[in-house]
Amino acid sequence: MATYTQALRERGEIGLATLLTLRPDLATPPPATLRSLAARSSTRASLDRALGELDALSLQLVEAALALHHPGSTASPARAADPGTLARAVGLTEAEAGPALARAADLALLWQDGETPGHHPAPGLAEALGPFPAGLGPWLSTTLARRSEDGLARLASALDLPTTSLDGLVEHVGDAATVTALLAGGPPGVRQVLDALTWGPPVGRSPEPASAGVTSAARAAVEWLLRHGLLSIQDPQHVVLPREVALVLREGRTHRSPATAPEPAGTPIDPRTVDAESAQHAEEAVRLVAGLVTLWGEEPATVLRSGGLGTRELRRVASRLDVDDTTAALVVEVAGSTGLVVEDGEEPPSLAPTAAGEEWLREPVPQRWQEVAEGWLTAERAAWLVGTRDEKGARRAALDPESRRPWAPRLRTTALEVVAQHPGAALSAAQVHQVLAWRAPRSAPPEHAVEAVLAEATTLGVLGAGALSPAGRALLGLGSQTDDAAARGAAPQVPATHEPTASAPAEALAAQLPPAVEEVLLQGDLTGIVPGRPSPSLGALLDLAAQVESRGAGLTVRFTPDSVRRALDAGRTAEELLAELSRHARAGVPQPLEYLVLDAARRHGQVRVGMASSYLRSDDPGLLAGLVEDRSLAGLGLLRLAPTVIAAQATPAALVSALRARGLAPVTEDQSGAVLVAGPRRHVVRGVRGRGRVPAARSGAAAERGATTAEEARERRLRRLVDDLLRGAAREEADGAGVEGAGLLGGPDAEGTPDPVIALALLREAATEGREVWLELVGPGGTIQRRRVRPVRVDGGRVRAVDAEREAELTVAVHRIATVTPA
Amino acid sequence: MTDGPLIVQSDKTLLLEVDHADSDACRRAIAPFAELERAPEHVHTYRLTPLGLWNARAAGHDAERVVAVLLEFSRYPVPHSLLVDVAETMARYGRLQLVSHPTHGLVLHALDRAVLEEVLRSRKTAGLVGTRLDDDDVVVHASERGNLKQVLLKLGWPVEDLAGYVDGEAHPISLDEDGWSLRPYQEQAVDNFFHGGSGVVVLPCGAGKTLVGAGAMARSGTTTLILVTNTVSARQWRDELLRRTTLTEDEIGEYSGTRKEVRPVTIATYQVLTTRRKGVYTHLELLDARDWGLILYDEVHLLPAPIFRMTADLQARRRLGLTATLVREDGREDEVFSLIGPKRFDAPWKDIEAQGYIAPADCVEVRLTLPERDRLTYATAEPEDKYRLAASAAGKNRVVEQLVAQHPDDQVLVIGQYLDQLQLLSDQLDAPLITGETTIRERERLFAAFRTGEVNRLVVSKVANFSVDLPEATVAIQVSGSFGSRQEEAQRLGRIMRPKADGRTAHFYAVVARDTVDQEFAAHRQRFLAEQGYAYRIVDAEDLTTA
Repeated sequence: MATYTQALRERGEIGLATLLTLRPDLATPPPATLRSLAARSSTRASLDRALGELDALSLQLVEAALALHHPGSTASPARAADPGTLARAVGLTEAEAGPALARAADLALLWQDGETPGHHPAPGLAEALGPFPAGLGPWLSTTLARRSEDGLARLASALDLPTTSLDGLVEHVGDAATVTALLAGGPPGVRQVLDALTWGPPVGRSPEPASAGVTSAARAAVEWLLRHGLLSIQDPQHVVLPREVALVLREGRTHRSPATAPEPAGTPIDPRTVDAESAQHAEEAVRLVAGLVTLWGEEPATVLRSGGLGTRELRRVASRLDVDDTTAALVVEVAGSTGLVVEDGEEPPSLAPTAAGEEWLREPVPQRWQEVAEGWLTAERAAWLVGTRDEKGARRAALDPESRRPWAPRLRTTALEVVAQHPGAALSAAQVHQVLAWRAPRSAPPEHAVEAVLAEATTLGVLGAGALSPAGRALLGLGSQTDDAAARGAAPQVPATHEPTASAPAEALAAQLPPAVEEVLLQGDLTGIVPGRPSPSLGALLDLAAQVESRGAGLTVRFTPDSVRRALDAGRTAEELLAELSRHARAGVPQPLEYLVLDAARRHGQVRVGMASSYLRSDDPGLLAGLVEDRSLAGLGLLRLAPTVIAAQATPAALVSALRARGLAPVTEDQSGAVLVAGPRRHVVRGVRGRGRVPAARSGAAAERGATTAEEARERRLRRLVDDLLRGAAREEADGAGVEGAGLLGGPDAEGTPDPVIALALLREAATEGREVWLELVGPGGTIQRRRVRPVRVDGGRVRAVDAEREAELTVAVHRIATVTPA
Repeated sequence: MTDGPLIVQSDKTLLLEVDHADSDACRRAIAPFAELERAPEHVHTYRLTPLGLWNARAAGHDAERVVAVLLEFSRYPVPHSLLVDVAETMARYGRLQLVSHPTHGLVLHALDRAVLEEVLRSRKTAGLVGTRLDDDDVVVHASERGNLKQVLLKLGWPVEDLAGYVDGEAHPISLDEDGWSLRPYQEQAVDNFFHGGSGVVVLPCGAGKTLVGAGAMARSGTTTLILVTNTVSARQWRDELLRRTTLTEDEIGEYSGTRKEVRPVTIATYQVLTTRRKGVYTHLELLDARDWGLILYDEVHLLPAPIFRMTADLQARRRLGLTATLVREDGREDEVFSLIGPKRFDAPWKDIEAQGYIAPADCVEVRLTLPERDRLTYATAEPEDKYRLAASAAGKNRVVEQLVAQHPDDQVLVIGQYLDQLQLLSDQLDAPLITGETTIRERERLFAAFRTGEVNRLVVSKVANFSVDLPEATVAIQVSGSFGSRQEEAQRLGRIMRPKADGRTAHFYAVVARDTVDQEFAAHRQRFLAEQGYAYRIVDAEDLTTA
């Protein structure tokens, strides 16, 4: 009889190639032999991965194949269910089940031995799918084997059977006619007990044993079922329904109904709405990311010690961008994934734009969007986790290194592809999740993650009104949708033959953006309205000089004294601002707005602030005028502020000595104007005290505070010391990590040799097929013992096997098995 | 993409381009469900609010219609989420109904059982409802009809009130349309109100709200209780009703501090109704004195809180609220809507002006630079004194004189807040002064003299803010006000907006001290009018002589 390994061999070149394509984990690193390929493909990890790829129907069929696969015994060989039986077991015809079965076979989760049409489950599947496949309990051959000789005899007499042999009893009790007949004569309550267990889970808690001679109906029913072999004792507290009995009660079915692919009915959406909304969001997303890059370019954000952006910094971003925290977190994450902002590696580290980020700011909107959207699509980041709590109850920060999720890109692609399959319709997160859950029930993402990913896609304009935008399609590399093209009618469309190029998403977005409007309607209530999408120059002007009240298809802004001041601060004069506004305003600039601008300009700069290190005052304006003109004092940076006051860039000490050198007799005064009497220099004392007070762990930022000219040198020295200390610590840490890493990789690795894997695979295979193997066992004293056994179960590092010769069951720890040879 | 006049923003504002060819049609189409937020010269802003959408449902508009209108007039694709939101919001209206049950009286009936369960579980409805009749019906205490409606509105499940109105005692009233007739918008306001049962009509000052009231009374043909702000206003209502309707002096009673007459049409002041003796409203019985068929609230934006509570008990009677500015500085507009009724009519001031029914007005803010000495005093003053200091700056008096001098032939009102400032102005201009201390008789005499032109300068305190009919006033000069009150500003402008016989333009001046809180408050005060399209020109006081 064939084995799994042989079946693999018989798949031939194409079959194996398919297998290695479908299960790429089997191909890396390249397996040396077919045996090791078989071994690898029956490991738990690989099986889980393959099962994760299965759709709901294929999974049902695999479960059915496992549930109906009789492992056989020494007396009878393993029996595999044929395709017809499997199809009926899930409620389909053979033809209907064909493709799904073929898929399971392609993945080598099921195999055929070439002699019978039956589908065998791959070795290890039983462990991977759990103890009760399709909710079915153990076979009668197992449950009855637990009974003692006396027990079997009692059972035989209860059933009026002449034989007490295990096989005979198994055959009789497992027969549909027997079960039906027995149930017809059973006491009341039997049906309810069976109904509760029939469709799984097959294990039920035994009713409390009768106390004080009172027997409950349920207890009586259970006892009757146990007496007639229709239930078995699982453990002292539980009973289990044997598989044959359950199958009779299920009328041969393993599943109530076949899984059917969900066909979500999306809400139809006008493609123009999709275009408009996604374009709006795309533009808005670019604006927000640009806002972030600009903000951090001006004031970088500090990084938490544990990495990532603290709540307060995130709030600052949210308030500056005028968005909620969730959007702010997404913007930060996307900017990070796109490489527009990065930790600067300084001490302390802060987040600042990269050179690429600065360059990105200068690109046109569609290009910028493409970069951001691609950055998002491929980011192994779960932005939706920001603000939630981790296992330790700590809030997850934006850009938290722990929020890396390698499956995130795949989730985005699959979720968006589901949406893409319903052009012109919006799907809810629940509908998308349903489809994903059908496609791969064992590896379906949680619904909240799907919801989060779709929400992110909406914010970024990949989706519009819940449907995939043309730019989004291009981003996924799907080309343009022909249905869409038809629905869109006269709208400009990329020709269908158009080859997707590297810049296709940007081009698609550019085609989606409505034409820019150069005009703003300025009104007497100091508001302005752009009746459409403002052109870049108009948008920049309004961003600078007004406050945005409402964004959307149009733009509403309000001019306030503050907003106008902002424009003046940025270097515009009132006249320039009014000229720019009137260039864009068809109906002119209303008088109140003009007055507002002029009034703001009047007050702008009324008070001026400058920098000086010292000042010089005298009641003799003539003397001061002379000093400003004096070339020998040019290096002091003298500026005459008033006839009797001069500001200087030089320190008071330098100023005093320069003036003394010129033959004047200056005195210094303190902040209140009192004359200072020259005393001993005190900066030495300050230096010592300062060094004592600055702890070594203090950061550079703290040291920078309050630097004065006299102290600068000392601070530089200190900072160098702190730097050296920190760098040394980092180096030590790195070295330490290196040593540990070497230990892990280079250390003796008992499990690393291929043999135990193959040995385990052989044992699993034998267990599934009920075949015998030769085991070489290492005894406690190092002696080697050779035994011929039939493995029953391989689990948790132990092998349970039956030694037929010695009629004994043994459990061996895997590490004691030296070799396994098929018998 | 159409080339429509409307831009629908995702934040639920609607921008209507006024100069667009379809803007009139669009305005008419969106008016039933969108609230006009501001109406400056080029683009009017409307807003979709749950209340507005529910009112539209109450008036018989369904979500499909609303969505169709938005799609029809929108220039750009309408945000999908907004359409969904409109449909969902409108679907919340009328899941519960208030009906009159033949045996149990007022009953809250559910068309959606889950909603009834939800609202009954809310603590807010406790005590408002009685026994549960069956799964879908629960008895409502008749006296709690108003409160329940308000609570359900707050819970987001507005009830459809099908319990109807009592007819009230019939009393024939008709308009005496001799040489005049209701203007089209007044007719429409009366129609909208009567069709809706109860509600608020918003019309600019001077646009003839009294006539809308009279029209409603004539349509109702029942005894009517009119609630007004003060006695002077009560007398003006009486005079107007005598002139415009078939009512005779004997049919109209005044219920005020001085007189307590209850007649088929009774005009009462808010003040007398809210007078309390030993914690008891002594004049409450007036509300039950007759079987009133209609209750009219003048200047509904000023409705004091006790009147709100009393109104909650009057839900079975038709209620009409009249106002020029439904802007309450206390933000209780919602209560007005749920207790008096939704807004039934609203028109941009500029539209009425364009039709010639109110005088065009030229609004000017005169900015006065304070002299150095005053600036120093102001800069160092305590914060609570700053407004008074700035608002009553001495320099303003000279500006007022200049302004008055510019209008030698006009009837001029000088309006202010601070009595000493007004006294000074009165002396300086040699004009009579009316304040809260002036007797009613003296006030009426002066107002009458002003109307005839015998007196052409009048200095008034805030007593003249409302409901004082001075049709011939063409110039108002405001020297100080109640901080940043928007509705006060609108009311004051309203004093001069009666159309003039010679069609002349009214002038409204606000004298403001530059770089002080006075200027900030002025900006806030002007906002409502600016949003109504009354853009203020700003003139420097120094330039006045040349202007």
